Amino acid sequence: MESSYLKIVILYCIKELQGQRTIYSILHLLNGKKSSQTIQDAHLFQLTRFFKTFGQLTRSELEQLAAEMENINWISQDENGHFTLSVKGGRYLQSALLEYPIPSSLNGWKYHTSTGVFWERLSLLVQVISHLNYNHAKYLPIQRKRNVLSWLKDFLKTSGADRNELGILLNKELQHCLGSLSDINPAVLTLRLTGYNHIGLTDVQAAKQLGLGQDYYHHQFLGVLHYILECIKHSPSRYPLLGKLVSGSEDSVPLTFSTKKTYSLLNEDFGLDEIARIRNLKRSTIEDHVVEVALNESSFDITPYVANDRQKLILKAANSSESRQLKQIRQLVPEADYFEIRLVLAKFGEEER
Amino acid sequence: MNLETILQKTYGYTSFRPGQKEIIASVLSGKDTVAMLPTGTGKSLCYQLPGYLLEGQVIIISPLLSLMQDQAEQLMLNGEKKVIAFNSFLTHEEKRQSLMNLRRYKFIFISPEMLHFEAVLSQLKKLRIALFVVDEAHCISQWGYDFRPDYLKLGEVRKRLGSPLTLALTATATPAVKEDIKKSLGITEGSEFIYSVDRPNISLSVERLNSYRDKIERLVELAETLEGPGIIYFSSKKIAEQTAELLRDRGVGSVMAYHGGMDQESRILVQQQFIHGQLDLICATSAFGMGINKENIRYVIHFHMPLQIESYLQEIGRAGRDGKKSIAILLFAPGDEQLPYQLAESELPDNVQIDWIKGWLEENPEVMSSLSQYEEQIRQVSGLTDTQWRVFEDFFQRKSSQGIPLGRVVEEIKVYNQKRLESKRQSIEEVYSWISMNVCRREHILSFFKEEKTEAIRNCCDVCGLELNDFTKKNNKENQENLQYDWKNHLDALLIPGE
Ligand SMILES: [Zn+2]
Repeated sequence: MESSYLKIVILYCIKELQGQRTIYSILHLLNGKKSSQTIQDAHLFQLTRFFKTFGQLTRSELEQLAAEMENINWISQDENGHFTLSVKGGRYLQSALLEYPIPSSLNGWKYHTSTGVFWERLSLLVQVISHLNYNHAKYLPIQRKRNVLSWLKDFLKTSGADRNELGILLNKELQHCLGSLSDINPAVLTLRLTGYNHIGLTDVQAAKQLGLGQDYYHHQFLGVLHYILECIKHSPSRYPLLGKLVSGSEDSVPLTFSTKKTYSLLNEDFGLDEIARIRNLKRSTIEDHVVEVALNESSFDITPYVANDRQKLILKAANSSESRQLKQIRQLVPEADYFEIRLVLAKFGEEER
Repeated sequence: MNLETILQKTYGYTSFRPGQKEIIASVLSGKDTVAMLPTGTGKSLCYQLPGYLLEGQVIIISPLLSLMQDQAEQLMLNGEKKVIAFNSFLTHEEKRQSLMNLRRYKFIFISPEMLHFEAVLSQLKKLRIALFVVDEAHCISQWGYDFRPDYLKLGEVRKRLGSPLTLALTATATPAVKEDIKKSLGITEGSEFIYSVDRPNISLSVERLNSYRDKIERLVELAETLEGPGIIYFSSKKIAEQTAELLRDRGVGSVMAYHGGMDQESRILVQQQFIHGQLDLICATSAFGMGINKENIRYVIHFHMPLQIESYLQEIGRAGRDGKKSIAILLFAPGDEQLPYQLAESELPDNVQIDWIKGWLEENPEVMSSLSQYEEQIRQVSGLTDTQWRVFEDFFQRKSSQGIPLGRVVEEIKVYNQKRLESKRQSIEEVYSWISMNVCRREHILSFFKEEKTEAIRNCCDVCGLELNDFTKKNNKENQENLQYDWKNHLDALLIPGE
């Protein structure tokens, strides 16, 4: 039963993928693979929140789980190796999600670059403040990465707050933020914290103490961190101290290397075919890059590639078609090609729903 | 000022442990010193204290990253800021920076690999080296249980640094290994301090059981009854993990596994929990224990047979550092002796692999001058493990730099491997005979180090007679009542300054 929650996540992804992708696209999504295909799929099928939330999942583990679920007829495979959910699987998923809801704050795509650093800084800062409070200078830091340690040094020098105030302020902000969590027990995070004469629990221990499976615990832990990050982003004036833990680890999602090159040529006003020629790549590859840029740069203007009128038609079709399958949208707007449809969905996809 | 006063001032201790003072005095009188102090008796003080009294830098060669890191951290914990540990934890830039400013440091820890680099060596040469410390000096001896090829070059390094005052430290060395240390380092005159490997407060016991299953059952029983804290050593990560799980299921207090496969954060937490008494028992691989300063470990159990007497002594030596009675128990079932042989063999490249690499090198002769750059490629196709590769590469580099042709190098490697394997087999046989023979365990170990047992010891060993009751929990402590965890209170306690 250890991986029952992971199965729920996989079932959920299979449902959203609507039989259009292999199971490996789920692997890439959960691992957080930085490829245009994975990033676009995440957006197209609205699975961005899962991005890089099971970084350690291996191919064989996933195959094993899929095989188990196929055996009990929750999912079935078509001739392309694409899985779809059976009625039985759908029913199970529905009831399982009631018991194990996916944390509403989970947002892998938005925060996958900043979550780890934020936790390292937060846990170290709490430990340091706690020892300062007890005037105890001899202890081993719970985080060992040099960049985290040197961040802390700078932070203590520049924070301006007085030693006593620092703890009070951090406590106030954390209590306020965690107190407003609705679907996760804040203990998921606080049990892990280390201070004077009290060493925090490992993830395994915390999950056990809370009676949660390891996978579910993991998503909840990320969920709490993402929730704090969202709070900081949403009302920075309320969380001035926590806000300082984020700076420099900002959630600017880096483009893939090749896309960066294409992007800089786009900015020099080269056309797609020209770029393809210059870079000696297929036009379809360049199109993938443009879609990736549209997903990542909110200021990116797509009108040079899709006229305004056509954008509206595509959006209308997308909203009326239930599944958002490219094919169905294309049938409703036959004059648009797949690139145009993908680009519009990339630009407006998430918020239009 | 006498040494005791300095000790009190610097560390807050009032007296030295046996041996420390003599070794420090020898170093301070300017004599090269080889010292053997049993595990758990404060070796690092022997170079730290002279460091504060001598002008110039103390260079400490340390074989293991984790050990080096621990020792550097211990110094920093004690308020010493001028410490640097050169190892792979530093970024390239940090290394470069620190290297340019070596003079700023007092204690410089360096891994033997780092000494390969001319840039490092030439910076070291500019220093005024007060003391050159070789920690775990038994690694220098090819016949020592923990031979590290990189250590062989230390003699040459020492010479190039102008033969500075040297202190070689080890916890366990047979007389032959000790001679090897002196020869390798080029120490001709100097003083030697050899303290008994015996730790009279640790009782020794071997328990023979009939099967793996019986061993597990006995282990659970021991963990339930023995007074903790304790460590159980395994030679497999998986079994360490499974057993910790099993013990938790059986309700044996607070148990966690510890091994190199865990992420760094969890490793630090588990280690710290153990030191702070939040955990009572660790199921560990040999990755656990180096540099752990915990005084009150009451028992060490070995679930698998160790590969050498020396490493066994190191591991059980973590018990009873406070001088109070403690016990070391080895569980043995028929067939257990097979595993060490397999482990020993797996550490060395076999002849087929060596022949394959030879063929590959003959086809790609341009590679030979920069073998390490092709590590990944060669390892992938030949299937060498990390350890096997290190053994191979080092030997190859040493020999080919002497202008020996490939064919002969390969033959020599094979001969050398055979010898290493023989020596490892011999070590295993020594452990096996120690387990099998019905003589006092302590006497047997001491004879191995050419020592004799001088005093009668209560609860000496299972052969002399052992009252296991002396080591069991006296007052069956109630499990600490599980207070309702309240996250708000916890945050308050962590962050709000107390009165
Ligand atoms: Zn005895």
